[in-house]
Amino acid sequence: MKILLILGLLLCYSFVSSSGDTTIHTNNWAVLVCTSRFWFNYRHMANTLSLYRTVKRLGIPDERIILMLADDMACNARNEYPAQVFNNENHKLNLYGDNVEVDYRGYEVTVENFLRVLTGRHENAVPRSKRLLSDEGSHILLYMTGHGGDEFLKFQDAEELQSHDLADAVKQMKEKRRFKELMIMVDTCQAATLFNQLQSPGVLAIGSSLKGENSYSHHLDSDIGVSVVDRFTYYTLAFFERLNIYDNASLNSLFRSYDPRLLMSTAYYRTDLYQPHLVEVPVTNFFGSVMETIHTNSAYKAFSSKISNSKSNPEMPLNQLSEHDANIPNDELKNEKQKCPYSQMRADLHKKLEKLENVDTVVNLSIAVMVVVVMVSSSLLR
Amino acid sequence: TKEEKKDDGVMAEEEPCMFWIWAMASTIFRLFLIFFFPENINASSRPELSTPLTSLRRLAEGYWLKQSSLSPYAGSMYHGSPLLLSILGPLTIQRIEGKSSHHLCSLVFVIADILSALLLRATGQKLQKAYRLNLRRLGLLTSLQDRGILPCGDIAALVHLWNPFTILSCVGLSTSPIENLAVIQLLEKVFLSILDENPAFGRVPLAAFGLVMATHLSLYSATLAIPLIFLLGYGLDAPPVKKFLQTRHVGVETTGSTSDVSKQDKLTQTTQLFLWRTVLYFVFWVLVWSSYVLVLCSLSLKQYGGLEEMFKRTYGFILRIEDLSPNIGVFWYFFAEVFDFSRNYLLIVFNLYILLTGIPPLAFRLKHRPCFLAFAYLAFSSILKSYPSVGDAALYLSLWALFVNELTDMEHSFFIFCGYIGFSLLSPVMHNIWIWRGTGNANFYFGNAMGYACFQYMFVEKSVNAMLNHDQALKKATSEMTKN
Repeated sequence: MKILLILGLLLCYSFVSSSGDTTIHTNNWAVLVCTSRFWFNYRHMANTLSLYRTVKRLGIPDERIILMLADDMACNARNEYPAQVFNNENHKLNLYGDNVEVDYRGYEVTVENFLRVLTGRHENAVPRSKRLLSDEGSHILLYMTGHGGDEFLKFQDAEELQSHDLADAVKQMKEKRRFKELMIMVDTCQAATLFNQLQSPGVLAIGSSLKGENSYSHHLDSDIGVSVVDRFTYYTLAFFERLNIYDNASLNSLFRSYDPRLLMSTAYYRTDLYQPHLVEVPVTNFFGSVMETIHTNSAYKAFSSKISNSKSNPEMPLNQLSEHDANIPNDELKNEKQKCPYSQMRADLHKKLEKLENVDTVVNLSIAVMVVVVMVSSSLLR
Repeated sequence: TKEEKKDDGVMAEEEPCMFWIWAMASTIFRLFLIFFFPENINASSRPELSTPLTSLRRLAEGYWLKQSSLSPYAGSMYHGSPLLLSILGPLTIQRIEGKSSHHLCSLVFVIADILSALLLRATGQKLQKAYRLNLRRLGLLTSLQDRGILPCGDIAALVHLWNPFTILSCVGLSTSPIENLAVIQLLEKVFLSILDENPAFGRVPLAAFGLVMATHLSLYSATLAIPLIFLLGYGLDAPPVKKFLQTRHVGVETTGSTSDVSKQDKLTQTTQLFLWRTVLYFVFWVLVWSSYVLVLCSLSLKQYGGLEEMFKRTYGFILRIEDLSPNIGVFWYFFAEVFDFSRNYLLIVFNLYILLTGIPPLAFRLKHRPCFLAFAYLAFSSILKSYPSVGDAALYLSLWALFVNELTDMEHSFFIFCGYIGFSLLSPVMHNIWIWRGTGNANFYFGNAMGYACFQYMFVEKSVNAMLNHDQALKKATSEMTKN
């Protein structure tokens, strides 16, 4: 029996140590990076802030969003609408509202900090709000926008992030089990080249343009004086504005919504590292945070035993394989115990008692019976 | 015998009218206090009345916890029996027309008090008859009109109804009336058949039931098992006869009629034996009833830890003295103020104190008087209980009144009576000074509790002395008669 236990445990470990298919998706993170500064790159900040707003609207809270912006638009001397950032010339939506939490601003947006955020290798004094505290059940959305080129991305007009660096960081993240699935969305010129070097499984990447293509801005806001949004992000937002948190739109529908003629570039996505079918993956897996809840019937019956008795037993989700494997040795032990008839009788009795809905009435009736019997017998014996 | 019955009849006619009048008056008084002065008395917050074991508020809390699918013992509020919870629990919720919610329970307690009084009356009447019969058998009552014997049943019942302690514990929302009722009905069931010659096996299951219920509701009633065993083992007739039969036996043949001789021969034969069969039958029935009660408890607690939880929280709570809020006992002070570091040692000492110094000596000395032994045990355990209250005092004072005939010569009774009144009145004063005004401290209250315990102890001691002196006097009287 001990050998069986050890074998069972080894099976468990082998299952768990394989790729992250056996972990369950528990949380969503978003890392939104705007790599440009200066007034004429208003649209990049508007891109990032629009996506920030969308992601928050669909359920990811601020503590799970790392927002890296140069943040010099809203209060720029050239901004006619101080403390307001728009992504459309109709100015309907102020993206820089009350509750924008920027984690890295200004000169903190550097390649080093970006890579530190991804890999989690910070100095001790870095506060938690600036760390990507994901775990092996996280789905991470990484959105980057700015100026880019063939296998590089320009950071704050001073540095560049190469595709090798990004692939390296993603590989480190995978080794350290910092994500279950990662979606990289890049809105720059020649964006698809940035993820040429990616090899880690579980990564889905989409870029706004292929090698040799530019990504264009959508429209110019004559009031503000600069372009306020890029095309790729504009059409992404157009897709998301139709959604609310309960919709089941799939990633496939998102990717199919990009029309190369409207974008004036080809939105290229790479799925060879990503196993699930895009048709089955809801967009809220990355862009929102809609979690699967598992009902269990445990101690609290919530003031009324009548309601809870109608609940059925919980169904195990498909990707709880690791827990199921861990149960195998325990089941074998239970089977051996149940061979003893006495304990089987007790188990049957327990099941029957559990089916009794109103134990209290049974108890009250028995007390009443006892008292009546005693009173009758004492009166008979007088 | 016919004349005896006539005398009984004459006396019985006058007494019941007065008794029932007084009983009705006390009921009306209690109802008056319940319905018109519930807030002024504020009795349920007094530590003398409601202990962690008997407080009705805790029972209501436990019932609410049970209704919210939590264990009724969660949070260390309720420490009583789950069966009591299912009986009294629903009553704590229902309200009468917007009044405070515990009126229904107070009515239940009033009914419990009335039942206790009636049962005490029945017990006392039997005891009185037995006493008279024994005195007649011993030949000490020559006159057929034995007016000297007081109607201890009526007196005990009236003492129970009009004792301020019982009234306060009835009005003060504590479950002591129900516990007292359980003990009194136990005594009544057993002593019902005092006059029967045949060992009535039908009594034994009822006696076992009574003992199981009394122990289930309050742990210290388990000490009553010993007087019960004595009563069942030495035969169901009144035991004082036994002690004197040996001295009497010699002188029987010279005096008395043949019927007396045959009766006394029968008596000598039966009372010398300890009826082990009855006792074993009793133990069997105790096991049957206790398993029934335990099955019910485990059913009602099966989701919350079962019997283990119940024992830990009820009996374990009593024995480990977990709640150190002040009461009129003497143990809280030791642990709260002085000796917390040697807590385990003191727990063992306190619990063994009753077991070793209280139970065996009294059992040896009073084994010929099981009824009085029961009273002595109850009084002794109410001094040394973990959480005493005045409800316990109410119980043993009523039982004391059953023995007025034997205890008429109790020494220092006035002193003890004044002491009781004084310390009971000072207790809320000291509590107020300590807690509400802050001008006193815990020593004031504890000093009062110590004085109260001292007077309780004196009371028990003097009663036992009086009873033993009474037996000595009887012995002397019979030996003088045999000489004559």
